[in-house]
Amino acid sequence: MKREISKRTRRIGVIINYASLVLFIIVFYAGEYRSWDAPTIIGGIIALVVAFLSFIYLYVKTHLWKFVHTSIEKLDERQVHVIHDSLRYSYSIFSILSLSYILVLTLTARFSINTLTTSGKASLGMIMLGGLIYLAHTLPASIIAWNEREVFLD
Amino acid sequence: MRSRKIHNRISVLREERGISRKELADKIGINFQTVGYLERGEYNPSLDLAFRISEYFGLPIDFIFSTEPMKPMSQEILDYRNKRGE
Repeated sequence: MKREISKRTRRIGVIINYASLVLFIIVFYAGEYRSWDAPTIIGGIIALVVAFLSFIYLYVKTHLWKFVHTSIEKLDERQVHVIHDSLRYSYSIFSILSLSYILVLTLTARFSINTLTTSGKASLGMIMLGGLIYLAHTLPASIIAWNEREVFLD
Repeated sequence: MRSRKIHNRISVLREERGISRKELADKIGINFQTVGYLERGEYNPSLDLAFRISEYFGLPIDFIFSTEPMKPMSQEILDYRNKRGE
């Protein structure tokens, strides 16, 4: 029998998932710019594990991942509305975040602030790029998890 | 343009016929959660979906859906009988 997962739990799950991703990115850059000591490595591993587990619980076990990747022909009219709304919000959030990040990179390079760049040139680090790719893929499902009235766990 | 809430009798008709949300959803080709949203008035069906529901129950559309809150069916029956002078 399917068990319903409350909206509150889902919202906490979304926050934990993205917070652990942000933490992993911070830990990675802390390791790059300072040192890869034991606490940094352990912190990074913990952040990755939490991100992975929360992803599985929030998106895989609820079938939200499958839902947002389902072909439109297989969805009913209400589900199509839900997907369209989630994509609309995803587009806004993703474009604002990614363009803001590019702007910050450009400004730090322009004024030679060596906090986010290593050579004085604006470069999109692989980890940040990976984070943005993850964000782009999970935003629709996370918006649905955040807003939808009923979501069931297998 | 903000759409109005559409009231309906889907849950009453479903209960009368002893049909679950899943059974109704399968018959009219939608997800069972959508049936729940329809019954609670949280989603307005398209014209096509409204007709499919009407055809399934074998009742006129305006008997199932309304833009105004609907009277209980027992009241409707009583009013109809009174009108006929029974």
